[in-house]
Amino acid sequence: MTKKSITILGIESSCDDTSAAVIKDAKILSNIVANQEVHQSYGGVVPELASRAHQQNIVPVVNQALKIANISKDQLDAIAFTRGPGLMGSLLVGTSFAKSFSLALNIPLIDVNHMQGHIMAHFIDEGQKMPEFPFLCLTVSGGHTQIVLVKGYFEMEILGETIDDAAGEAFDKSAKILGLQYPGGPLIDKYAKQGDPNAFKFTKPRVGDLEFSFSGLKSNIIQLIQRERKKDANFIEKNLIDLCASIQHTIISILLEKIDNAVKKTGITQIAIAGGVSANSGLRNALLKRESTHNWNVFIPKFEYCTDNAAMIAIVGYYKYQNQQFANSGITAKARIKI
Amino acid sequence: MRVTINSIEELPALAAKITAQYSNKIIAFYGDMSAGKTTFIKSLCEQLGVDPTEVCSPTYAIVNEYEIDNNQLIYHFDFYRLNNEKEAFDLGYENYFYSNHYCFIEWPEKIANLLPEKLLKVHIESVANKRIFTIEEIKS
Repeated sequence: MTKKSITILGIESSCDDTSAAVIKDAKILSNIVANQEVHQSYGGVVPELASRAHQQNIVPVVNQALKIANISKDQLDAIAFTRGPGLMGSLLVGTSFAKSFSLALNIPLIDVNHMQGHIMAHFIDEGQKMPEFPFLCLTVSGGHTQIVLVKGYFEMEILGETIDDAAGEAFDKSAKILGLQYPGGPLIDKYAKQGDPNAFKFTKPRVGDLEFSFSGLKSNIIQLIQRERKKDANFIEKNLIDLCASIQHTIISILLEKIDNAVKKTGITQIAIAGGVSANSGLRNALLKRESTHNWNVFIPKFEYCTDNAAMIAIVGYYKYQNQQFANSGITAKARIKI
Repeated sequence: MRVTINSIEELPALAAKITAQYSNKIIAFYGDMSAGKTTFIKSLCEQLGVDPTEVCSPTYAIVNEYEIDNNQLIYHFDFYRLNNEKEAFDLGYENYFYSNHYCFIEWPEKIANLLPEKLLKVHIESVANKRIFTIEEIKS
């Protein structure tokens, strides 16, 4: 006897992007993030910041996700949505939409923690190797930097997180200091490839073993630039690639040092990364190098599952569905919510 | 009030002084990147009873919420990423500013026309390794 397959619509609207995805069992059928294409075909708006743009985008994005998945509304078994953490106004749009849609279709509603979603993105089945429990996950994005001990699908413990700026923010703000556009993290990565990572030294933060801090780096860079510009007004232009390489090297060494500490502390060598900064080539290479030098098993999800997306919400929905962990229709969005 | 701070260890005392002297719940923090706005807000939050490890930069999130014991909230804003004031309308800034909860605002310059008439302005200036704090109460 074959088990009936489960089809779930996932909704994500925690910050800037409105996203909808359809999952059938652990396989993604569609994963749409509001963008120009949605705008052209369905009349949504191109998102700027976390805003009421979600209201204009949610229906077109869901329509497109269903269409691309070739799934009709009545084939859905449940609706999963991001309950938090995030910006209240943004969360409310996804939450209200998911509640009304589940009520109208008379199917279960499943609330998902956004941070759990980032980690669970590793279990989206695309034939890749998947981490086994327990593993460590470094979630690094514009808004988050944390190391999580993942003991099971729903058993997660934050071992350490940033006390000030997130790693992605450190990249973006460093880029701004160098006169690059904001957010310029990807530009730093691009220029870093040509520069000398040891050209400039920045001090490492003095914080707990598993804590991160990136705000000191900002001051360091600003001080260096103010000092050097007195001698040479074109200091940044002349040293841009070396500055980028050195900044990237510093941020990645901070991240690696903390993962090393977490490995030492837990004895776990299965290392997963999640969040938008996973796209940084320096971080990917450094982690993959540790596969051979430290005998780690490293897991990096596909980029579209690293940034904020609804596929990761849908996969959590799939696992919660199997446990019959449903929300009632009185559930409300929560801006602050722990893993 | 004008205060020179020589090291980060002096921030809690300044935070205590400000919360004792002023009753303003809306405080705007002015200062360049890396002046220490988030760091000082961490001190203020701790003074008001929030676990300081919860306080981090809201640049990406735009608003962080922290809970004080007696059901009071602190909204910690960072308007750095805003392109224009319309975006503040879009995120419902008025629901926060007029909620009677604390609002600590980084990069208030970005929403100069939307700031409440009564507020406390904290200017932080970085000079050598010191920080000069200038506190100014706006009573409208």
